[in-house]
Amino acid sequence: MKKLGESKGKRVFVYVILILWALISIFPVYWMLTFSLKTNAEIFGENVAGLPREWVWSNYTRALNTGDMPRYFLNSLIVAVSTIVITLVAAVMATYAITRLRWKGRKRMNSFFMLGLTIPIHASIVPLYTTLAKIKLLDTLWALIIPYSAFSLAMGILVCTGFMGDIPYDLDEAAMLDGCSTWGIFFRVIAPLMKPAVATVGIYTFLQCWNELMFANVFINSDKWRTLPVGVQSLSGQYTTDWGPIGAALSIATIPTLIFYIFMSKKIQDSFVAGAVKG
Amino acid sequence: MKKPLQYKINIFLFLLPALALFVTVLIAPIIMSFYYSLTEWNGFTTPEFIGFKNYVELFTSKSINISRALKNAFLLALLSCIIQLPFALWLALRLARPIKGRTALLSIYFMPVLISTVVIGQLWLKIYNPDYGVLNVLLRSIGLEKWTHIWLGDKKYALGAAFVPILWQYVGYHMLLMYAGIKGVPPELTEAAMIDGCTPSQVNRYIIIPYIRPILRVCVIFAITGSLKSFDLIYVLTNGGPSHATEVPSTLMISMLFLRNRYGMGSTIAVMLIVLCFFFALLINAVFKEEK
Amino acid sequence: MKKILALALALVMVLGMAACGQSAAPAAAPAAEPAAAEPAAEPAAEETVLTLWSIATESDSSHQAFIDAIAAFEAAHPGVKIEHVTTENEAYKTKIKAAMSSGEGLPDIFFTWGMGFLGEFVNAGRVYCVDKEYEAYKSELPEAMTVNVRYDNKMYGVPYTMSLITLYANMDMLAEVGYTDIPATYEDMMACCDALVAAGKIPFGVAGKEKWCLSEYLEPLVIKSVGGQKLRDMYNGEASWNDPDVVAAIDAFQSMINKGYFDPSANALSNDEVKNNFIAGKTAFYQNGSWNNKDIGEQAQFAVKAGTFPVLNDAIPLYSMIGGPNNTLAVTESCKNKELATEAAFELAKFMSDADYKSGANLPCWAADPNADVNELIQAAADMASKAADMVLFGDNFLTADAANTYLDYIEMAWSGDVTPTEYVEGLDADLG
Repeated sequence: MKKLGESKGKRVFVYVILILWALISIFPVYWMLTFSLKTNAEIFGENVAGLPREWVWSNYTRALNTGDMPRYFLNSLIVAVSTIVITLVAAVMATYAITRLRWKGRKRMNSFFMLGLTIPIHASIVPLYTTLAKIKLLDTLWALIIPYSAFSLAMGILVCTGFMGDIPYDLDEAAMLDGCSTWGIFFRVIAPLMKPAVATVGIYTFLQCWNELMFANVFINSDKWRTLPVGVQSLSGQYTTDWGPIGAALSIATIPTLIFYIFMSKKIQDSFVAGAVKG
Repeated sequence: MKKPLQYKINIFLFLLPALALFVTVLIAPIIMSFYYSLTEWNGFTTPEFIGFKNYVELFTSKSINISRALKNAFLLALLSCIIQLPFALWLALRLARPIKGRTALLSIYFMPVLISTVVIGQLWLKIYNPDYGVLNVLLRSIGLEKWTHIWLGDKKYALGAAFVPILWQYVGYHMLLMYAGIKGVPPELTEAAMIDGCTPSQVNRYIIIPYIRPILRVCVIFAITGSLKSFDLIYVLTNGGPSHATEVPSTLMISMLFLRNRYGMGSTIAVMLIVLCFFFALLINAVFKEEK
Repeated sequence: MKKILALALALVMVLGMAACGQSAAPAAAPAAEPAAAEPAAEPAAEETVLTLWSIATESDSSHQAFIDAIAAFEAAHPGVKIEHVTTENEAYKTKIKAAMSSGEGLPDIFFTWGMGFLGEFVNAGRVYCVDKEYEAYKSELPEAMTVNVRYDNKMYGVPYTMSLITLYANMDMLAEVGYTDIPATYEDMMACCDALVAAGKIPFGVAGKEKWCLSEYLEPLVIKSVGGQKLRDMYNGEASWNDPDVVAAIDAFQSMINKGYFDPSANALSNDEVKNNFIAGKTAFYQNGSWNNKDIGEQAQFAVKAGTFPVLNDAIPLYSMIGGPNNTLAVTESCKNKELATEAAFELAKFMSDADYKSGANLPCWAADPNADVNELIQAAADMASKAADMVLFGDNFLTADAANTYLDYIEMAWSGDVTPTEYVEGLDADLG
């Protein structure tokens, strides 16, 4: 490919900025990983940002012993996966009804769903608490999965609308002429073409529920259903001035996601791209 | 044209899962919140109906000082739009062109997004620590002792210090969305423009950016409503302090609900936020349509 | 020394009666036997589960005491299991309020603070009155200790420990500037701080990030300027804050700030960090609740002394203390086994009172073992409690939630210099009224 109108100086400049931003993006993680293996003496004094001189693995055993980290992680994972599945199914179906079926009020229905983007999640905590208690879901993972799905729905529909709106309408008509029913069109024509939206919606939903602290803290009582953010928060409350174990706890919460991401990043990016190509 | 009944039932069935979730989890609590916002209620006893008194108090009370919280939230939204989004767009445009190490850079830029807010908050608390935090240590080591501050504890710097991690964390998110959009621009379009003698920046300006408008719209909506609703990181970093310097509507709302037991007033702030976010979402949509 | 505690309790009782006005106990039904009377003979019976919510997370100094107390209760009551859910302090407030507000999913027994915090739950009818069950424990839990859990003279909670604001001093550091004891007069205190500042040391550690920690410094100044009764009247709305003695106290507070007596990093620190700074020898004094006795006593590598801040006004007795019985267990109205849960609350409280006292974590509300071998700091705290001329609860516990937070806001404004002493008292009169 030709590179037009770009001097060497400018290219170097661009690279410098790109690399600088990469360093800024990665530094906190690097710092977290290194100080999770240091003693306080190193963190606070002679060796603030370098690699640990003495690798203090006991920080990790201490962090792991003050709670059930693997369990919290598993709970967070179950919540995230279930939320993504529910959000996707509900969002794709609703988007189909809004964008491809002709009926009065579909525009209004879309705006109605977009209202979801505007609602601060924390405002509904007490009414939700009451409802969840009444239907006996409090202190189960459903108490998180259902609200998280509902709060991710608006974004899901928004993204799906983008993807679905760009599938040519001829396809529906052709399918209809072939004798497909509404459901047939949905399952055979539209749903398969929505695969790319999965990544985008999936990532968004994942982020939304992976990080959430307030609901997770209020709706869950039992230790066995606690999620990662709650675990990390209480852990860092316990070692306020002993940074090593805090670093270890933060790392434990982060490393599995990072590993997953390192292996999947190409795939995640590709589906983003593929999605946008269709879009 | 009259639609057969079956068609209507189908529409309803397609909407059912989303509607059920949406109405029970979002709409019903909002309606309840709106009702509570018209009451004086501590959360425990019977709510006492007081009309719009909470709204009047919210906008006139000096001690609640909603205007400061709103100003902070708007400032964050503004910074998102003039720093975070353009920078993300620049990164995306750059990375969409042939460049060495693209995959690695994309992955690295996106990484902060994947880290839990609690973790990010704890990390930045440590970065800002006045005595041992990396920032002050760095400033001291390069002889800029007088630039060191008690970042999160100083009224003058706390707001900026709290905003930096928020803006930092989501650059990668917007970048990836925009990058995906740019990759979706048909190569014929850009190639034709290049052949016509357009410079890369002209291609960006006249071909790519107009093409990815829908994604830009999503990014803008997300950045603005996200800023207005911002809560988690500020809660972990400063919880609205020092002396309310970093108060945003959400932190005010939480303190009304759970510290002051003023459920009615907390709900009033919630309603105000919803109205505000909805207004901006509509506004952004209108602006993007207009330009089309 | 050993008798001090009994004395302390007696004294608090007198104070309590004065404050409370009425002490006639309801002539109650025959006292329920505290323990052992349960049908322990039938282990085949179905297991009863009681849930208990508390803030005793693993880092809390009462964590082990709770575990032991529960184990003891379960051993004495076969077939009863107590499920203990712990939540970190701030998160706990959100959690208990959400549950209280909806009235659903409430635990059987819950940890609470007295006065304002518990009061709102009581007003909402969510808390079970324990008057009847109290009869059996009257001899062990002095009635004076229950003043902060009484509403309309009905008792709604079982207190287990009491706390006093204590001034902890690093005696090694004071020795460096020529002091062998905590300065006994205000002037001497200021001179001591000046000497410390001149020697490049930080006199006071405080967490500017946590408003209640600021109040741990301000409230002793106020009570030692206006006296206990007047302060109580101000909290109750029966006296104006606009009083020259309050103004003098705020003025003293601000001049201490302006003279650089407080840690310059204060605003970025949490209370735990400040406490650890003191333990690490970074500050000369640390003024906070007596619940810190254990951590400081066990971890500090220097000579520590626990005392109280000198008076600003010579007419006020030195031992005018801020504090009182505050850590409490209460039973919810929605509990299915109220009698059993109440018994558990009493038994756990009794155990905790003793365990926390013996471990040096805090002062007991219940009659304590006079032969217990306790550490020096808790001895000093007990000593201060016995000498107390008056005792007023922490302002943010005393007031109801909304008022308490407004009050803390004003303290923060005084701390950051956003209000003058006059604006402070006028503001409190206007906004708390």
